[in-house]
Amino acid sequence: MRKIVFAFSLLAASLAAHGGPMGFADSTMAMGDFSPNWREAWVNHAVTSRDAVGLGGLRMKSDDGRKTRNFAEATYTRRLARWNTPDSQANLWLVVGAGPVRGNDFAGSRTMLAPGISADWETTRLYVSASARLYRAKGINHDFASVRAGFSFYEVDYDEIQPWLVVEARRMRGLSEKTEVTPMLRLIHRRYFVEAGVSNMRQGRLNFMYIF
Amino acid sequence: MNIPLIATKYIAASAILAWATATFSTANAATSVQATVNGMVCAFCAQGIEKRLEKLPAAQAVLVDLKRKVVVVQAKDGQTLDNKAISHEITEAGYDVVKLETVPKSVAEIRANLKAGKP
Repeated sequence: MRKIVFAFSLLAASLAAHGGPMGFADSTMAMGDFSPNWREAWVNHAVTSRDAVGLGGLRMKSDDGRKTRNFAEATYTRRLARWNTPDSQANLWLVVGAGPVRGNDFAGSRTMLAPGISADWETTRLYVSASARLYRAKGINHDFASVRAGFSFYEVDYDEIQPWLVVEARRMRGLSEKTEVTPMLRLIHRRYFVEAGVSNMRQGRLNFMYIF
Repeated sequence: MNIPLIATKYIAASAILAWATATFSTANAATSVQATVNGMVCAFCAQGIEKRLEKLPAAQAVLVDLKRKVVVVQAKDGQTLDNKAISHEITEAGYDVVKLETVPKSVAEIRANLKAGKP
């Protein structure tokens, strides 16, 4: 079981890693968010333009390295609302995850539930988002929250790569008493984006998303 | 009045050329539907629009222009695009169509104009 959880962790991303946690109808999206204390990956498939189901894995580690958590989850993502204007788009998302969690400070596995909500607003040049997700199991509370803001350096055509500077602040209860702030360079193109940066905790971070 | 033979030949050749040009142009005139779309702010999210519209049976080519917030669908030769279907596909992808218009240009022409900075 531990190997399966670890495999998921290597395979598949947090709501905070991106604006939209699912692709267009009938698309499959792979997402990853990797840093020393947080390694997460998701794969989901959009069964409609508003609903996606997926599998994911998350490996969390406390700042002092003493506690670890390995969470494998099945997920359901729902676009609750979208607001379109000529120059902007805003979304409200729901993600619900459930699965076994293991830790190095308790025996066996426990069932973890992880409901979350995310909101974002973006234009061709600006982007802001906020996410909150509960990670709850018996005796475990690792509730998570993040905010993001970014801007693109210039507008591009549809078929060109667009560079962005994005800053994220995130925090997780029970594993870290600090707010991690990470400025990242994002490159976004039609099918993918990649982000890389170094946090205020001097830890490297790499995120990606790809739509198949 | 006598018209010189060479002038007669010139007039006849011009008439034939004009007829041929007009006929050729008519036969190859491309028709496209241009949709003005609200909410289309990034290439990553507009992908869904392109993928959906490419699947329309009468669609020859699709162009997404993020700067002007328009999507252009070119019809296959001899086929007619269904405006309702185009509007439906864009809406289902999560965007709002605010205007649909038919334009007598191909996607390639529109793309070339955009590259040249022409409207």
